[in-house]
Amino acid sequence: MRELWRQAWTIARKDLTLEFRSRTAIVSALVFTALVLTVFNFGRDPTAVSTLDLAPSILWVTFTFAAMLALNRAFQLELENQALEGLLISPLDRRSLYWGKLLANLAFVVVVEAVGLPLFVLFFNVAVGHVLLPLLAVIALATVGFVAVGTLFSAMVVRTRFAELLLPVVLFPFLLLPLTYAVQATARLLAGRPLSEVVGWLRLLAAYDIVFVAVASWLFPYTVEE
Amino acid sequence: MTIAQKGRWLVITGLVLLGGVYVRALAFTPVERFQGPAQKIFYVHVPSAVTTELAVILLGLAGVFYLFLRDPRLDRFAESSAEVGTVFAGIVLTTGPIWGKPIWGTWWTWDARLTSTLFLFFLLMGYQVLRGAITDEGLRARYSAVLGICAVVLVGFIHLSVYLFPTLHPQPIVLKPSKPSLPPEMLLTLLLSFGVFLLLYTGFVMQRYAIATRRAEAFHG
Amino acid sequence: MDSGVPQNAGYLIAAYILVPTILIAYAASLYRRSRRP
Repeated sequence: MRELWRQAWTIARKDLTLEFRSRTAIVSALVFTALVLTVFNFGRDPTAVSTLDLAPSILWVTFTFAAMLALNRAFQLELENQALEGLLISPLDRRSLYWGKLLANLAFVVVVEAVGLPLFVLFFNVAVGHVLLPLLAVIALATVGFVAVGTLFSAMVVRTRFAELLLPVVLFPFLLLPLTYAVQATARLLAGRPLSEVVGWLRLLAAYDIVFVAVASWLFPYTVEE
Repeated sequence: MTIAQKGRWLVITGLVLLGGVYVRALAFTPVERFQGPAQKIFYVHVPSAVTTELAVILLGLAGVFYLFLRDPRLDRFAESSAEVGTVFAGIVLTTGPIWGKPIWGTWWTWDARLTSTLFLFFLLMGYQVLRGAITDEGLRARYSAVLGICAVVLVGFIHLSVYLFPTLHPQPIVLKPSKPSLPPEMLLTLLLSFGVFLLLYTGFVMQRYAIATRRAEAFHG
Repeated sequence: MDSGVPQNAGYLIAAYILVPTILIAYAASLYRRSRRP
């Protein structure tokens, strides 16, 4: 068990080191996030629709895009120089490859969200201070949900042509569910509803995470058999 | 008789019996007082939705068995179930609006049945698009199994979440009794229709399976 | 028939024609594809 975590951590560190050494992907993702938020800002009529009505959807669409960006590059790293084969020949447990990738992807998305959330608050003048903790909980849970399934699927599509097009198509229904829960929870939080109304959605998100992290980690070795 | 021929006969029988269901629905089942004749769309709409879900569940199960047994026939069955499921999803998603317009005034409603069938439709699309992008048979079968299993888990999760969290609505749902207590004549018509659609599903899957088998043989032969 | 019941049989007929059309079209597609070598 400890060996698994050690291996996973090694893989995650490798990915993140590569990522932050070149910095291209993370910078692109951050710029993209800022772009999306700006477009949303200009794309609405503040006199016609209240910010509070749109805010949850805007936030979550932005975060979903960020997650997609992260996932797209997840296994791209391994395509060059047959790095994936190298990983597979090594005495690594296949499952730790999943966990490692999951951790690396999570770190990537969290960085983007950590910049995206303040930008969102700034652009849309939304008060999140009083609900920051539950909001962070929603974000954390939903992100795990996106990335858990996304990491599994990105391992599969990386071997196909049109991987970048394929991943969103295949992942879409699996994103839709945590996205819906997250938007519902966020909407209630931002509207100042009592926490008791939000807890149910948090539980759903947590349940989704538990189920799909388990299923994805169980299925992952089947995607990298050779 | 080959599988394809048996399948064809099942489909023909099914279509004839569908005619029988029509007769029963139109002449021997009462008109619903508030919805009028259009309510009878229910008798084709609901069985199609159930068949779509069945198709997804079966392809997921086939995926589980495939990962353990590695029998390509399981994969061919899954492929067939996916395609047939898409056809029935199409029926749900077209009859739904046709029913919805006179009853609820809008072409589309986010009611539980239409929403979940749309969801299944997206799952089936993704499944078939993934299959189309992989040429290697073994890889395609394995990856389809993985995706199929995830799809079934997702469907199961949605159903369970409705049970465990009944006060929450996953989507803004127009409250509509999806299965009001039906008078016996209506229930019988509905059940007969279920049987017909099951027959059609089986016949279609058999034919599609035969096509997949021929394709595989041609590839190796 | 009492006047209270809505007169929307047109939709019913549309749906009842659409369904076998889709089914027969699919059946025909399967048949054509099985004939190809």
